[in-house]
This record gives sequence, structure tokens and C-alpha cells, in this order.
Amino acid sequence: MDLETHVTTVLSAIIPIFIVSIILYSIRLFKGPTIPDMVIAVDAISYDLAVFLAVLAIVFKSPILIPCAIILMLWAYALDIYVAKYLEAKEYGD
Amino acid sequence: MTDVNWVLIIIGEIMVIWGAVCDLIASIGLLRFPNFYVRLHALTVGTIWGAFVPLIGVSLIAIGSEFLGDYRWFMAGAAFVTATLLLFLAPVGSHAIARAAHKSKAAVVYPKVVDKLEEDREKGEIR
Repeated sequence: MDLETHVTTVLSAIIPIFIVSIILYSIRLFKGPTIPDMVIAVDAISYDLAVFLAVLAIVFKSPILIPCAIILMLWAYALDIYVAKYLEAKEYGD
Repeated sequence: MTDVNWVLIIIGEIMVIWGAVCDLIASIGLLRFPNFYVRLHALTVGTIWGAFVPLIGVSLIAIGSEFLGDYRWFMAGAAFVTATLLLFLAPVGSHAIARAAHKSKAAVVYPKVVDKLEEDREKGEIR
């Protein structure tokens, strides 16, 4: 087995695990009793999607998918900070 | 060169598989744990073991895969930068949301034994 088919086979076999965990995270997102629960569920989905995009970039051999991972990760951090600010001071920052 | 590529790819695949398994464990924990502060533990398992480790693994795989062409260096560098930023920023975000949730009483600590921070807040020693 050469190198390319090995990498593609193993990474394609991993993809369903990521999809199942994204579905389980979204159950918590829709069920979450409080707002911080929903926020950490969205965080987990964003980090998971970032890794999923990086794996898909290798499988599809397309480097254009990689910068989306950086944007997703920074967006989840910004959401954390905004929601924390709103919960503490009941206002959005300037 | 081919042996080095095989070593890099095997190490990277082990890291990606371990990260996917930890992601599954973290999602089950986020679904089953009783309150917000315990769920935060599952979230941090999902961020460090489930996102940082597989991103480093993707970076190693991209270095070893010569069939990707010259753009593999771009993929490896971008995955490494994402992993490093995530290692710094994810704990900051989860600490900020935990502090805000405890201070604004947005999440109730229901199955609890003791909460010294809340007692100190009620006595007025800290804000």
C-alpha cells in the first residue's frame, strides 16, 4: 500500500467519529438549561469543526480549507469573551 | 526520505485517532454530566486533547505527505499556528465564562457539597 492511499483510508475512517461527536454536542446545545451551557456547547462545536476542516483538507488535498480553521477557533474565543462580559456587566463592550 | 515520511505519518495518525476518541468522550461527558461546572471539565478535555493534539497530528501528516505538492508546507504551518493559538486561548475563554457564570448566578450549582466562593461573596469579603 503506498503512502497516499494509506493516509486517505485512515483519515476517511476517522471522519464518522467527528460527525457523531458534533451531533452529541448539538444535542447539548439545543437542550442546554442555561446560557453558559449553550455557549460552551457552541465552543466545543467550533473547535471540533476546526479539527474536522483540517482533516478534510488532507483528505480532499485542498489547502484552501485550512485558514477556515483559524477563523473558527478565533470566533469561538470572541464569543466566550463577549458572553462573559455580558453576563457580568449586563452590557456589551464598546 | 520515504522512511522519514512514514514515521511522520504514523505519529500524526496516532495523534489524530487519539484526538477523535477524546472528542467522542468529551461529547458524551458534556451530555451526561449534572451541572455547568462539571460540564466545563468535559469541555476542556474536548479542547486540549480533542483539538490541540489532532491539529499537531494534521501538521505532521501534512509535512510527511509528498503527494500534496508544495502547498503541504502551508497546510502544516497553518495547522501548527491554529494549534498554538488554541492552546493559549481556549483555557482563557473557559475561565472567563466560568467566572462570569458564577458571578452573575446564571448557572445554578445544584448537586453540591460546599461552595466557599459563594459564602465569601455573601459575607462581602470579595466582590
